[in-house]
Amino acid sequence: MLRSISLTGRVKLGFAVVGIALGIAAPYIFDRFVIGLITLALVGGLFAQSIDLLGGYAGLITLGHAGVSGTAAYGVGYMAAKAGAGFPAQIAVGFLAGMVAALIFGVMAMRSGGVYFIMVTLAQGMIVWGLSIRLFRITGAENGLTGIPRPPGVELYWQYYYLTFAVVVLCWGMLGIVVNSPFGTSLKGLRESETRMRMLGYNTTGQKLYVFLISGFFATVSGILLVYLNGFISPSTVILAASAIGVLQAILGGIGTLVGPMIGAFIIVFVQNVVSIYVARWPTLMGALFVVVVLFARRGLVGAISDGWNRWLNRNQAPGINEPVLTSTNQPSGP
Amino acid sequence: MTDGVKSVVPPTSATTDDTARSGVLGSRWLLWGGSIVALALLVWWILTQMTATAFLAQILNGLSFGAVLFFLASGFTLIFGLMRITNLAHGGFYLVGGYIGISVVRATGNFFLAMLVSAILIMLLGLVTERVLLRPIRGLEKPEVLLTIGLTFILGDMSLAIWGGDPTPIPKPDFLNGALNMGGFIYPRYRLFVIACAVVIGAILFWVEKKTRWGAMVRAGVDDRETVAALGINIKAVFTGAFMFGAFLAGFAGVIGGAFLTLLPGQDFEVLLFALAVVIIGGLGSLKGAALGVVIVGLIDSFGKALIPELSFFTLFAPMAIILVLRPRGLLGRE
Repeated sequence: MLRSISLTGRVKLGFAVVGIALGIAAPYIFDRFVIGLITLALVGGLFAQSIDLLGGYAGLITLGHAGVSGTAAYGVGYMAAKAGAGFPAQIAVGFLAGMVAALIFGVMAMRSGGVYFIMVTLAQGMIVWGLSIRLFRITGAENGLTGIPRPPGVELYWQYYYLTFAVVVLCWGMLGIVVNSPFGTSLKGLRESETRMRMLGYNTTGQKLYVFLISGFFATVSGILLVYLNGFISPSTVILAASAIGVLQAILGGIGTLVGPMIGAFIIVFVQNVVSIYVARWPTLMGALFVVVVLFARRGLVGAISDGWNRWLNRNQAPGINEPVLTSTNQPSGP
Repeated sequence: MTDGVKSVVPPTSATTDDTARSGVLGSRWLLWGGSIVALALLVWWILTQMTATAFLAQILNGLSFGAVLFFLASGFTLIFGLMRITNLAHGGFYLVGGYIGISVVRATGNFFLAMLVSAILIMLLGLVTERVLLRPIRGLEKPEVLLTIGLTFILGDMSLAIWGGDPTPIPKPDFLNGALNMGGFIYPRYRLFVIACAVVIGAILFWVEKKTRWGAMVRAGVDDRETVAALGINIKAVFTGAFMFGAFLAGFAGVIGGAFLTLLPGQDFEVLLFALAVVIIGGLGSLKGAALGVVIVGLIDSFGKALIPELSFFTLFAPMAIILVLRPRGLLGRE
C-alpha cells in the first residue's frame, strides 16, 4: 500500500504518525507548565490555520479574526459567568455567537478583496474590541469575565490537553478535506486572480462568503477551546495584536500550508514565554519579527523546507515552479 | 480592478451592474430623496433627545474630531491613491508625532514649534520607512500592509517605553485655552481652531491638487503610473514625496489632536480604525472622499457617544456595513 504513495507523501505520513504519537505521549514526558504551553500552542495553531485558510489558500488576509474567535469566547464566558448556564448552553451560545459574527463579517467583506479586505477585517476586529471594552454588562469591560470552569471530565490540565489535542487533530483533518476538495482548488484560483475566476463563471462573492464561514467555524472552535483553557476572557483576547499574531504565525510557519501555521504557533508561543522572562518589550520583538519575516521569509519555514526538499528530489532535473504565495503582484487591488 | 483588466472587459459589462442596481432601487432620485428623508427623521429624533445648543455643540465636537481625522485620512488616501500602499503605520505615526510634540512643548513651551518639529521628524520617519523598509517589497501589496502593521507594533511599544503609559494631554497655547462666547453659545476655542486649521489646510490641498504642477503629477500618477513614468517624470521621487507628505500630516495631526484627545497607548490603533472608517465610507484614493468621510465619521462618532455611550465605536459599524454592501468602493470612490 505504501508503495502507491509518492516519496513526499510517505514522508508527510511519517511526520503525521510521529506527531500524533508525540502528542499522545506528551503528558508522560513534559511537566504541567510545558503541557500548558503546548495546549496554548495547539489552540493558537488552530486559530492560525483558520486564518491561513483565508489568507494562504484564498488570498484573503484578515487582520480581524480574533473578533470571530473572541465573540465565541465571550459567548461562552457570558453564559458561564453572567447567566450561570450549564455547559451545553455555554458551548451552544458560544458557537452560535462566533458563527453569527462570521456571517455578519463575511457579508460585509465579501465584496472586497486584496488590501480592501485587510482594511475591512481590521475595522471589524477593532469594533469587537471596542464593544468588549464598553459593553460592561455583557463583557465586564477591562476586567473581563472570570471564573469560567471547565466542563466535567476535562478539568485537570492533562485531561484538557487531550481534549484539545483530539479536537485540533479532528479539525486539521477537516481542514485537509476542505483544502483538497474542488472547492479548495477554486480558492487557489481566487487567490491567483479573482477576475479570471469570475470570467470562468465562478460566483466569487459567494466563494468568499463560504470560505469566511468555514474559516469562522474553526476560529470559533479555537475561541471556545481558549476560553476554557484560560478560565477567563478579557479584551486583550480580541485586540488587534491577537489577530496579527495569528497572521504572523501563519506566515512564519509557511502560509498556504496547514502544517505551517501550527509550527508557527509553537514557535511564537514558546519564544514569547522564554523571551518575556528576560525582556518586557514583547510587542517590539513581535513587530520586528513581522517586519523581518515579511521582508526576508515570506514563504516561511515550511516553504523553505519544501523548496529544499523539492530541489533534492529534482536534483538531476530542471528546477520546478514555486507556488506564488504572498508574492504575486497581479492581484486586483480593489473589490 | 487592475488597469490591464479594464481594457479586456468591454465597457458594457462594467455598466450592467449599475443599471441592475438602479433597477432594483428605482431611480437615483428616489434613492437620494429617501436618504434625505431618513436623515431629516434622524435629526428630528436626535433633537427630541437633546436641546438645540447641545445639538450644535455635538456637531462642532464631531467636526473638530473629523478635522483631526482629515489630516490623517488625506495623507493615507494620497499614499494609497499613488502607490497602492496601505500604510497601517499611519496611526503609529500619529501617536509618535503627538508624543514628540509633548516633549517639545515641555522643553520649549512653544506649541507651534512642537507642531513643526513633530511633523518634520515624522516626515523623516516616513522617508526611512519608504526607502528602507517598503522599497524592497514594492508592488507586493499584501506584504506591504503586513510590514506596516508590524511597524505600528514597534512604534507603539517604543513610545510606551519612552513616554510611559499614562494618558497625557499636550499643553495648549494660552490664547487657545478657555471657551469662546458666541452670542450665548459657549464653545472651547481650541476645537474651533482645529476646525479652522482643517478648513484652511483642506482648501490648500484641493488647490494644490487642482491647480499646480505638483497636483497634476499626483493626479496623473493616481490614474496611470506607467504613463507618467514614461513621460519622463521621476515617479519614484513623486512616490517618496507623497509618502513623506502623508507622514508629515500624520505627525501634525498627532500634535493638534493630542492637545484635546489626550495621548495614550493603544490610541494608534484607535485613530487608525477611524481613518479606515473614513476611507471605507468616503472612498479610497480621493481627497473629496476623505473630506466627506471625515464629516460623516466625525458626526456619527460624536452623536453616537452622546446618545448611546455604551455602543460608541459600534455606531461606525452599521454605516460601514451598509456602504460596503451597496458601494464597496465607498461613496466617492473611483469606479
